[in-house]
Amino acid sequence: MEGLTAAESRELEQRLQKRQVKEFMTVFGNLVDNCFAACVDDFTSRALSGRETGCLSRCVTKSMATQTRLGERFAELNAAMTAEMQKR
Amino acid sequence: MSLFGFGRPQPTSAEKIAAVENELRVVAEMHSRMIKLCTLKCVDKTYREGELSKGESVCLDRCAAKFFEAHQTISEQLQREGAARGFGA
Repeated sequence: MEGLTAAESRELEQRLQKRQVKEFMTVFGNLVDNCFAACVDDFTSRALSGRETGCLSRCVTKSMATQTRLGERFAELNAAMTAEMQKR
Repeated sequence: MSLFGFGRPQPTSAEKIAAVENELRVVAEMHSRMIKLCTLKCVDKTYREGELSKGESVCLDRCAAKFFEAHQTISEQLQREGAARGFGA
């Protein structure tokens, strides 16, 4: 991010913060969708069953671990790809 | 038109910011798609366990690497075939 003035940097930072909030909402939404789809399938009742609740809990924990691990791999791979592209 | 390098149009403030934002958006989207796909391909959907197994972890690592390679490969082929068909520059 070379060549940005102080004002431009501030503007960019604000935009990025807004974007991060949006990001989080997307991640949250995907998590709910994924875990609901995987765990909830008993509609004989309005309330989540014990089994479903346990499944959801495990799903959330596992999803967060997945995000962490993939986040690390992504950063490495993205850096490598960027470096490769700059060489060409 | 420029003489001795003067007069080259500088990107505006808005353009510079938009460019950075755009690139970050593209990267974030790729990140999100990769997570979705690799979860689908590697993680046991029954969620009997709250922790990633060794097998799932290794699968995720490999999935990430393959995802990037697929992205590159597809990108390159599209460029080649697109050019052959007269798309783009």
